[in-house]
Amino acid sequence: MIKERSIKQNDATDALPNFRNIGITLRILLISNGMALLLALSQASGWADVPQRIMQIIMLLTPILLSTLLLLWAAQPWLDQLDYWRGVFAVTMTVAMLTLGIYYLGGELYHPFFGDNVHFDAARYVILSMMVSGILLMYFRLRTLALSHAVHDARLQMLRARIRPHFLFNTINAVLGIVRTQPRQAETALEDMADLFRMAMADARDLVPLHKEIQLSKQYVALEQMRMGERLQVDWQMQDLPEDALIPQLLLQPLLENAVYHGIEPLPQGGIIRVILRRSGDELQLKVENPCLPRGEGRHRGNKVALSNIRERLDLLFDVEARYLVETGRDFYRVEIALPYVTVRPKLKERSS
Amino acid sequence: MSGNEQPLSVFIVDDEPPARNRLRDVLNDCSEKLPLKIVGEASNGSEALDMLMELPVDVVLLDIRMPQMDGIELSQHLLKLPKPPVIIFTTAYDEYAIKAFELHAVDYLLKPIRLARLFEALTRARNAVPVKNEVLQELSREPRKNLSSHERGKIHLIPIGQVLYLRAELKYITVRTVEREYLIEESLAALEKEFAARFVRIHRNCLVAKEAIEGFVRGGEDSAESAGWMVKLKGLGELLAISRRQQHIVKEFG
Repeated sequence: MIKERSIKQNDATDALPNFRNIGITLRILLISNGMALLLALSQASGWADVPQRIMQIIMLLTPILLSTLLLLWAAQPWLDQLDYWRGVFAVTMTVAMLTLGIYYLGGELYHPFFGDNVHFDAARYVILSMMVSGILLMYFRLRTLALSHAVHDARLQMLRARIRPHFLFNTINAVLGIVRTQPRQAETALEDMADLFRMAMADARDLVPLHKEIQLSKQYVALEQMRMGERLQVDWQMQDLPEDALIPQLLLQPLLENAVYHGIEPLPQGGIIRVILRRSGDELQLKVENPCLPRGEGRHRGNKVALSNIRERLDLLFDVEARYLVETGRDFYRVEIALPYVTVRPKLKERSS
Repeated sequence: MSGNEQPLSVFIVDDEPPARNRLRDVLNDCSEKLPLKIVGEASNGSEALDMLMELPVDVVLLDIRMPQMDGIELSQHLLKLPKPPVIIFTTAYDEYAIKAFELHAVDYLLKPIRLARLFEALTRARNAVPVKNEVLQELSREPRKNLSSHERGKIHLIPIGQVLYLRAELKYITVRTVEREYLIEESLAALEKEFAARFVRIHRNCLVAKEAIEGFVRGGEDSAESAGWMVKLKGLGELLAISRRQQHIVKEFG
């Protein structure tokens, strides 16, 4: 087990960033332009000079940056097949060649500012470009390293926190409570529990078919209904959900568990949890809404663990392409998640096999 | 002891039907070795209190986590019964409560309920003494949802949301709702601490519900004690004097 984990961890850190990911692209743009700004500041002779310096740098930087991003986007499948250091070399070379090409092609546009030293300028821009891409690659590597530790922490936490001990022991007690009179129902309940715990013990990084997660969430609801009876009701609203969609496993079930534990259980009359699942363009939208006790009337606190766990996993898997929104009303609670509609397990930055 | 021949009367309180089933099953198993009788069950705190007022029992098996009134609060009200039952708490998972139970030697059962443990707890119950109120107070993490007043053998629950003010008078505290007054035997300082979010002190002997404050009027005598301000409460004709020391609340709530 430990060995398997450490192999995966190596895989995770030694991978190039996914250049087709919007988050990665945004970060590259932001950091490069930020460095351009610093360079402009360091070169300028006074405040009035800064805008002109920025313009000079941006004029050269932007075409290089955009063509590099475009080329890397196109080359992504090929880059994926290289091992890490060859990949780094390929990316750096691409940047150097593009810088050189654009500088010479730009002709008059770039040369006049710097007089006769055309070749010196070319060399110095190539060096600068290579340094910037080196810094960026280092940044992405460190970032993956930091985040992949988080995955493992989350994974360890999962067994303790994702499925609450409260739920485990109460459900076992309830199964024991019906086993003598309704043995068949008790059997189903134990089977459902086995499925739920199998999922909770599986690799947290896996994506599973959406319908499977829905199925599992329904099994979970059935277990809670065995305990709580009529008090717990779930209204499933699902509209043209694609059959082939994949979502991170145990994304929906913990949201429901939160809704039950914090929302329905403390309500004497119980209530209805509304689950809305739909596809909108290339996005999947999940919404879980539950009534809860009005604020200050003994509402439980501390559902942070499960929710921050979900947020972190979404971050890792989809970066800025997933959105996450929590709305706390006086007597309701709503979590909304939007994530990209994917049908193949994506080549994510933390997996290379 | 004369009571020893009588079967032990047991009452079950749990909001979950299968959990009550489980207790009934295991109690039946126990009854083979220990004479006992299940005399009733309830699915929530106020129902349990109503039934237990009419029907004194030896032991109450009481779930801690229930909606509205939890087991800890119910046990505090049950202490006011003329003959309080022995309470055995049940819980699936509650680290905080379990630590406190261990500390104060309060008997409890973990879910899933086991025959051997239940048998042991029931055997001990004959000679057990009711848990002290101070211990229960320490156990409750949240303020109670009700106050309870003992009147002619009956216990009245007063939902805390209906209380307009609490006033200390000699030995008792007067609890005022729109309809009527109740007397309870508690300390004003402890109540102030427990319900700090809901009440504000306007006088050495009086706490007023913040939500009930309608306004402030001048009146009463201007002395060393009183600043001459009075609180007017919603739905009540009576005016309550504010002491000089608490005069700042006129600004805060006015």
